[in-house]
Amino acid sequence: MIEIQNVSKWFGSFRVLENVSETIEKGQVVVICGPSGAGKSMLCKCLNGLEPFQEGDIIVDGISLNDPSTNLIKLRQKMGMVFQRFELYPHMKILQNITIAPIKVLKVSQEAAEKKALELLERVGIPEQAQKFPGNLSGGQQQRVAIARALAMEPEIMLFDEPTSALDPEMIKEVLDVMIDLAKSGMTMVVVTHEMGFAREVADEIIFMERGKIIERGTDVSFFKNPKSERTKEFLDKILLV
Amino acid sequence: MGTFDWKVIYDNFPFLMQGLLTTFELAVIGITGGMLLGIIVGMARLSSNKLIYYPATLFVNFFRSLPLLLVIFWFYFLVPLLAGRPMGDFFSASVAFVIFEASYFAEIIRAGIQSISKEQMQAAYSTGFTYGQTMRYIIIPQALRNMVPSLLTQAVVVFQDTSLAYVIGVKEFLRSASIVDAREMRSLELYAFIGVVYFIFCYSMSKLSKRLEAKKGIAK
Amino acid sequence: MLSYDFKWSILWADPYGSWMLEGIWVTIKLGLICWFIALFLGTLIGTLRVTPWKPFRLFATGYTEVFRDIPLLVQLFFWYFAAPRILPHSWEMYLYREIPNSEFWIVVVGLSLYTSSRVAEHIRAGMQSIPDDQYNAALSTGFTQFQTYWYVIIPYAIRLVIPPLTTECLTVFKNTSLAMTVAVLETTFMSQQIEAYTFHGIEATTGACIVYMIITLVVVMIMGLVENRLAVPGLITRR
Repeated sequence: MIEIQNVSKWFGSFRVLENVSETIEKGQVVVICGPSGAGKSMLCKCLNGLEPFQEGDIIVDGISLNDPSTNLIKLRQKMGMVFQRFELYPHMKILQNITIAPIKVLKVSQEAAEKKALELLERVGIPEQAQKFPGNLSGGQQQRVAIARALAMEPEIMLFDEPTSALDPEMIKEVLDVMIDLAKSGMTMVVVTHEMGFAREVADEIIFMERGKIIERGTDVSFFKNPKSERTKEFLDKILLV
Repeated sequence: MGTFDWKVIYDNFPFLMQGLLTTFELAVIGITGGMLLGIIVGMARLSSNKLIYYPATLFVNFFRSLPLLLVIFWFYFLVPLLAGRPMGDFFSASVAFVIFEASYFAEIIRAGIQSISKEQMQAAYSTGFTYGQTMRYIIIPQALRNMVPSLLTQAVVVFQDTSLAYVIGVKEFLRSASIVDAREMRSLELYAFIGVVYFIFCYSMSKLSKRLEAKKGIAK
Repeated sequence: MLSYDFKWSILWADPYGSWMLEGIWVTIKLGLICWFIALFLGTLIGTLRVTPWKPFRLFATGYTEVFRDIPLLVQLFFWYFAAPRILPHSWEMYLYREIPNSEFWIVVVGLSLYTSSRVAEHIRAGMQSIPDDQYNAALSTGFTQFQTYWYVIIPYAIRLVIPPLTTECLTVFKNTSLAMTVAVLETTFMSQQIEAYTFHGIEATTGACIVYMIITLVVVMIMGLVENRLAVPGLITRR
């Protein structure tokens, strides 16, 4: 479904992504982990064209991002994204945060959009917050709304850029639960995260990146039990508190 | 030194109030004209098109490095020249204010729009919004809310700046007071009076601006 | 267009050229004197605004509000026309007769006080953006309030406020132009004097514009050097 072909990106002499290649099948859950500055977020943002890249190509569902005739805006309707700092629109109520894109972009009617939005809020567990403003919600609640907002566009792929990194420890579980539920329902997901528990539970493939390169990839079993490279072993030792 | 004689204010009250009215007129023109021109220039400062960005930047830096007094004199000489006939001191002062204050409003507006994080734009894009939709529904509504306290503060500055029109003879509040002073020689009472009036107005506006700033903090 | 022939030579012809130079010198003197007085006073008042003692805070707040909410020109008129009336007659006569350039010094009083209130606001904002724990850390090592402010808070705040202070310095020089209304022979006054003699207002005023633009450039350069000298990694870094 997504094919990343030899993608490289750099800022001056600083190379953010170095010859990255990967294939993500429909329905797969791929977790990307690694130390800070490894280029994980950048890769995620390249997938839906939010960040340009200098070399290589990314092909989503047969559509190449490099092709000048590609309508990136239409493409982004098929891909939902969840950000580290939630990025809800602070000047709109929760319900409007979720309904504004379907109404303005997909031209859905107000009633239909609101009905869907309430269903999504139910699904993420907070239907009672619909009329509040983002500022009144906790971090965990805001992030769940952000997931609902992304799902409102009925995407085929969901991208998560460190969705729990800005959350208090107590709130991480409520967001991960929603993500696990989403994964089990068959959504194609690319998740940048440090949450290895989540990876163990639902990831079909785990990628370890450092300094813009993919160092190792594996299925969850092989990745955790027998990491091939020293660097991966080192990283796992440091972050797994076992 | 004689005793305080507030009668001079009472006697000349209508004349002084006429001056205050002129001050308000000049201020309203400066604020609305300055804001409108400022929006154009401010957005031009955000453009990636060099042909739009450089003139706007030059405009802003040019007027911000000059004293308003000098700009008033400049337009006082320039406006009749361009118009082909004398246009009156009020008109020249208005032109000077609109253009000068626009350079300050432009910076407030530019900063307001830039203060919205790039991630907000990316979040909007990720749901399939175009640049126009993102600006209209997400960025500008937030930027306006952020800008209101600074815009209000600048409006107070414009109100105070109108006193400089004194130098080309515009009969605003300060000049009215000095005209009465020349006749009656009651400087203390007169300048204290106009000082108090200016103070009441500017102080209340700045208090309002602070309250709006605090409210903005809660809404976020 | 009204017919007009430009005559730029008025800017350097005798005696206009030397008038301009005199005026520029007065502008620079006035600006520098007011700026340094305002820096000193403003730091004092700004610090008072954030001290824990209410009477100091109230005084400093009142001071700032009064000078900020009245137009500078009105303030100058007050000091020049109105304030001497309060003085006893003999003092007033001394002021006008014995002190040379009394109007220059009256403007120094007015402009310094006005600018000091603006500096105070910047200092206050800088100090309030310093995290509380900095105070607490200093106090916990046994510093008195005074020592905390002198050794820790004020140096930190000064580095934070250099950009707004640069703007304020530029503003002071621009505000010196208002002195012309009370007969101080600075740049703007001289340019209008030249206009009165030659009727070439545009050239004269443009000449004055160039002077102020040069002053702006010089101030920005100097403040840039100051900022680099005081730069501290993590707080402001060298450009």
